[in-house]
Amino acid sequence: MRRSFLGEFEEVILLVVASCHPEAYGVTVWERVQVQTGRKITMSAVHATLYRLEEKGFLHSNMGGSTQERGGRRKRFFTLTPAGASALQEIQALRTKLWQGIPQNTLQLFGI
Amino acid sequence: MNNPITPPRWADRFLEWFLPEDILEDVQGDLHEVFQSQVHATGLKQARKAFMLSTFHYVRPYFFKRRKKQTHHTNLLSLDMLYNFFIIAFRNIQRNKIFSAINIFGLATGMATCLIIMLYVQHQVSFDRFHEKADRIVRVIFKGSVQGEKLNEAHVMPPVAQTLLADYPEVQQATRLRQYGTPRITSGDKSFKEDAFAFVDANFFQVFTLPFLQGDPKTALLQPNTVVISQSTAHKFFGNENPIGKILTFKDFKATCKVTGVIANIPDNSHFHIDVFASMTSLPEAKSASWMTSEFYTYLVLPPGYDPRQLERKLPQVVEKYMSPQLQQAFGMNYSQFEEKGNHLGLFLQPLTDIYLHSDFMYDLGPRGNTQHVYIFSAIALFMLLIACFNFMNLSTAGASKRAREVGIRKVVGSVKGQLIQQFLMESILLTSISLLIAVVLVVLALPLFNSLTGQSVAFTSSGALTLLPGLLLFGLLVGLLAGSYPAFFLSSFKPITVLKNTLATGNKSIGIRSGLVVVQFCISIALMAGTLVVYQQLRYIQSKDLGYNKEQVLILGETWVLGKQEEVFRQQLLQDPRVLRVSRSGYLPAGPSNNNNFFIYPDDDPAQQIKAIRYDVDDQYMPTLGMQLIAGRNFSPQMATDSSAAILNETAARALGWGNDSLDRTITRSTNEGEKKTYRIVGIVKDFHFRSLHERISPLVMVLSPNSGTMIVKVKTADTKDLLASMKTQWTALTPDEPFVYSFMDQRVEDTYVSEQKIGKFLGIFAGLTILVACLGLFGLATFTAQQRTKEMGIRKVLGASVPTLVALLSKEFLKLVLLANLIAWPLAWWAMQSWLQNFEYSIRLSPWLFASVSVAVLLIALVTVSFQAIKAALVNPVDSLRNE
Repeated sequence: MRRSFLGEFEEVILLVVASCHPEAYGVTVWERVQVQTGRKITMSAVHATLYRLEEKGFLHSNMGGSTQERGGRRKRFFTLTPAGASALQEIQALRTKLWQGIPQNTLQLFGI
Repeated sequence: MNNPITPPRWADRFLEWFLPEDILEDVQGDLHEVFQSQVHATGLKQARKAFMLSTFHYVRPYFFKRRKKQTHHTNLLSLDMLYNFFIIAFRNIQRNKIFSAINIFGLATGMATCLIIMLYVQHQVSFDRFHEKADRIVRVIFKGSVQGEKLNEAHVMPPVAQTLLADYPEVQQATRLRQYGTPRITSGDKSFKEDAFAFVDANFFQVFTLPFLQGDPKTALLQPNTVVISQSTAHKFFGNENPIGKILTFKDFKATCKVTGVIANIPDNSHFHIDVFASMTSLPEAKSASWMTSEFYTYLVLPPGYDPRQLERKLPQVVEKYMSPQLQQAFGMNYSQFEEKGNHLGLFLQPLTDIYLHSDFMYDLGPRGNTQHVYIFSAIALFMLLIACFNFMNLSTAGASKRAREVGIRKVVGSVKGQLIQQFLMESILLTSISLLIAVVLVVLALPLFNSLTGQSVAFTSSGALTLLPGLLLFGLLVGLLAGSYPAFFLSSFKPITVLKNTLATGNKSIGIRSGLVVVQFCISIALMAGTLVVYQQLRYIQSKDLGYNKEQVLILGETWVLGKQEEVFRQQLLQDPRVLRVSRSGYLPAGPSNNNNFFIYPDDDPAQQIKAIRYDVDDQYMPTLGMQLIAGRNFSPQMATDSSAAILNETAARALGWGNDSLDRTITRSTNEGEKKTYRIVGIVKDFHFRSLHERISPLVMVLSPNSGTMIVKVKTADTKDLLASMKTQWTALTPDEPFVYSFMDQRVEDTYVSEQKIGKFLGIFAGLTILVACLGLFGLATFTAQQRTKEMGIRKVLGASVPTLVALLSKEFLKLVLLANLIAWPLAWWAMQSWLQNFEYSIRLSPWLFASVSVAVLLIALVTVSFQAIKAALVNPVDSLRNE
């Protein structure tokens, strides 16, 4: 199976969904992303990305939990699929590998 | 704000419209949740602003893509769906055979009627439009009023054409046509009387577009004694030989003419139908400078885009300049003096394309169309279509309860409203298409009948029909949409939950509309029926009215002038037959084609009192033959030599001259065109008789003793007219073997005067029958439906002791109420319409309320029979059966 490419924002959203489990739906994801990254993002970007990730097979959704402030509308809860989880893991592994490949002191030059 | 803690409504609406349905709920929910928390954090105003902004952010490529994907799922025009619609539609047609048959048959009838009438109207308005210069040709007409008598003539004086051409540069061409009886034309051994004969100016074929098959339109009639004939005439005389250069002999004019051209037969939609055009140069009268006789149909060609009214405004100058001097000569007064007495005369212009439908002249070429008929027929066409469409709507909505479950199920499994509307519209278009097909067949079958009734030759296969084809399809579509729109919207608005729970109170809302439609249908039917009755009553009145003369057992022998001197011999021979009572020689006939003479006279005791009368040249046998009654004085007598200057007035003339019954032995004087005067002494007064149709008031008439040849009026007394005619013909042939024996019956001539009214009567009758038929079909359908619906109710009522008549009354009452209401609305409408129709007649019946009452009773009875058939059926059902039906 050809692996789908994950963009940076998609990766962030995927990670946030995983961290919000089992309460990951539009609003929580949106808030968490902003808190964690400090970026100002729009709800529509979150939604578009969530649906796209679902289409790519990294996320799975089911409906439930309507509340009054939502006007009785249900939430769409997102959970990681095995493909989503392994994708995150692969990214993590790749990063780690790459980190380990950086020579000692290279980063220290920048004062980090 | 009443409900402050909500986001802007329109933003919500936008989301609902824009977002695909499958993600709408959670997205909207998320946004609302954020909005609510923002209200607490930043206040309502800020929150609303934020909400609005975030909704706009959804307009991004991803959601557009997703939208497209979604609509793809419910493609409104997917083939599978169409196929399914068709299947369901056909199954429905099959399941409700009676309903479908009523629907299709009713619609087909309505459409067929509408189509036929559209063809007819198309034919009527197409007259004379085939000429290339049709929009530039005008006809000069003559109108005026002399002594309160209206003059209205389609032909004008001989010099008009030349004068207008010379004096007004805007007149580009002028041409004339002069009819000249029905001459006998001979070629070799073939001899025919040609009634489609006229003299025309040489440029006639440059003004009118009448294609030449042989010969040159520009030069054909330049020489005297030349003729141009139609293809059919050429074939009649010469068979397949080349007619050019052949000689035709006109015995009556003692002339031989050379054929110089052959034209294609003149199309049916032309206001003149002439087969033999002779060159005007052969006619001396054509060069006459008289402004006092008018026999010449005169046509002008004006520049493109020129408004004929401009020229028309200049025409009074022509009257002043040319006619006035001749008036002076004839009547001793010039035109201004003539006008001072309240008279006026003038030339006017009439567009060529108006001639057929919009003229009403004393003398015109060939039959005229009737604008009134065109309007009446168009209205009927519209009514028929409306009635048929209403039927369709009624039956479809009434049958809705049967479809309600289907609608419910369809909605539950995901049909959207638009799709259901589409389905029902398609169904109705399918039904109308079937009806249209049947209608076309009906039209083809009914056209010959229609043509024989109208005397028109409307054709369906002609080029006109081809241009109608797209119109026809559009028409079918339109009728389908029109008839199907209401049921479609009505049915698709059912709520699945009520339908499936079976709690739908069927058509409570739609009963109002259905009733309205029924009322309109019956209104139209009743009005048409009343109209038919009025027309027939008026016709009967005409037939039974005392015309002032006896039209029964009177034979008219035409063309007797061919006998020449032997005319009197023939008369004597006729009189020897015991079956012949009297014979008069006069071409002045009170009905049908007749000689006609205007007669300007004044009483000698008051020369200023000039009146316009009609002169009848008669012999002493005339009044006894036609059974006219003298109310004073005596008839002409051949024994009295002085009777050559005697006159008999009708009552109206006696009154107009100011003498009344005291007219005897007074004298009147007539001045002729040439300024001669002749004085007549009045010897009798004849009781007024209708010498024109009952459309016209009886006008002054003067009879003078002046035997004229040409026509014989024969009073007979026999039961076997055929035998008498045969023996007359033998006598005729013995005297003149070549000439045809032409005869007509007086009573038939009177009938023929009202042909147009008889036609209208027949038509209204047919259409009234058709509308009532279609309306009753609809009523029948509705009654069937109601009876089915109330089966259980009837059962319960019956169990509780209701009798069959009570039940029938219960079921029928509602419908009869509607029909009664329709009556009330239809009465004033029909009254008004028929009153204005009767205004066409100077002598007419009074509209009686009984007539309307009888129509109402008849319609109520018809409706009752229609409805009670179903009602009785429903009432007779055994309650056990009806209550068990579940």
